[in-house]
Amino acid sequence: MSSSLIIAWLYATPLSTAIRDVLWVIPTVQSIHIIAITVLFGSALVSDLRLAGVLATDEPLRGVVRRYYPWMRNALMVLLFTGLIMIIAEPDRVLVNTTFWLKMVLVVTAFTLTLLLRRPLLRAPDEREKRPIKALAWLSIGLWCAVIICGRWIAYTI
Amino acid sequence: MDIQPLLQTLQDTPVAAFIRESGSVFPLLESVHVIGIAIVYGTIAVVDLRLLGVASHRRSALKLIQDLLPYTWVAFVVCVMTGLLMFCANGTTYVQNTAFLWKMGLLVLAGLNMGVFHLGAFRRIGEWDTTLPPPSQARVAGFSSLALWAGVIFLGRWIAFL
Repeated sequence: MSSSLIIAWLYATPLSTAIRDVLWVIPTVQSIHIIAITVLFGSALVSDLRLAGVLATDEPLRGVVRRYYPWMRNALMVLLFTGLIMIIAEPDRVLVNTTFWLKMVLVVTAFTLTLLLRRPLLRAPDEREKRPIKALAWLSIGLWCAVIICGRWIAYTI
Repeated sequence: MDIQPLLQTLQDTPVAAFIRESGSVFPLLESVHVIGIAIVYGTIAVVDLRLLGVASHRRSALKLIQDLLPYTWVAFVVCVMTGLLMFCANGTTYVQNTAFLWKMGLLVLAGLNMGVFHLGAFRRIGEWDTTLPPPSQARVAGFSSLALWAGVIFLGRWIAFL
């Protein structure tokens, strides 16, 4: 089955039509999406800056990372859920959009990096770190910025 | 006083026309605006939640504020600058947009709320710096700030739909 058939089917589902028919749903879902972005990016920024040795260096690394990681994970869940609603509502705008797929690749990359950087700290105590943590922390911040830029650009591509 | 002629003049400047007509400048300004918003609300929320009594990455509320506020301010300035540039491009329509006007109103209220906090509970922060939960004045300020800034974000998104 080709992608255009899937899109046409999804577009015609009662759920998709219902979301589009109630005018306040899409802007409200988008607003919640942005609030969740601020939570994810804010938590990423603070803990990545700690990993990079810039912020709160007098506090133990483990404590800072452990404090913010659950917020990142929960915000990601909200983002995936609100994102899914937007896909269901307007599959024709999203699923054929190259910027959207680039954004998805970047999200997977950024969150994988987040886990790679944090997992040793969330689990076993005090393993000696040999990886280039600081550079990777900056990369993580950069990747999240790229995700945000792609997200805004979805509306301008096709 | 009618502000429209002034906004029209602003909108007719070469800079405004460039922002409006170049395909990529406006979305780029929007993207930077959103990154700025994420830093402003992300860092403010950490402080506000601490004022509500949610533990943060350090115990001292004062040191937490000193950790994060510089980032909040830089990001806020970025938001104001990108916002002003977008406003230049279409000022005449923005001032007729209800969501935009309410957003500006809430921004003023958020500023006032911050002012009240800094002149009130913040002056006595030495007394409650490491106390959980913080005094009620601080909790009210934290809650109002979370709500007002969330309102600013919602209204910002609604501008495009009105």
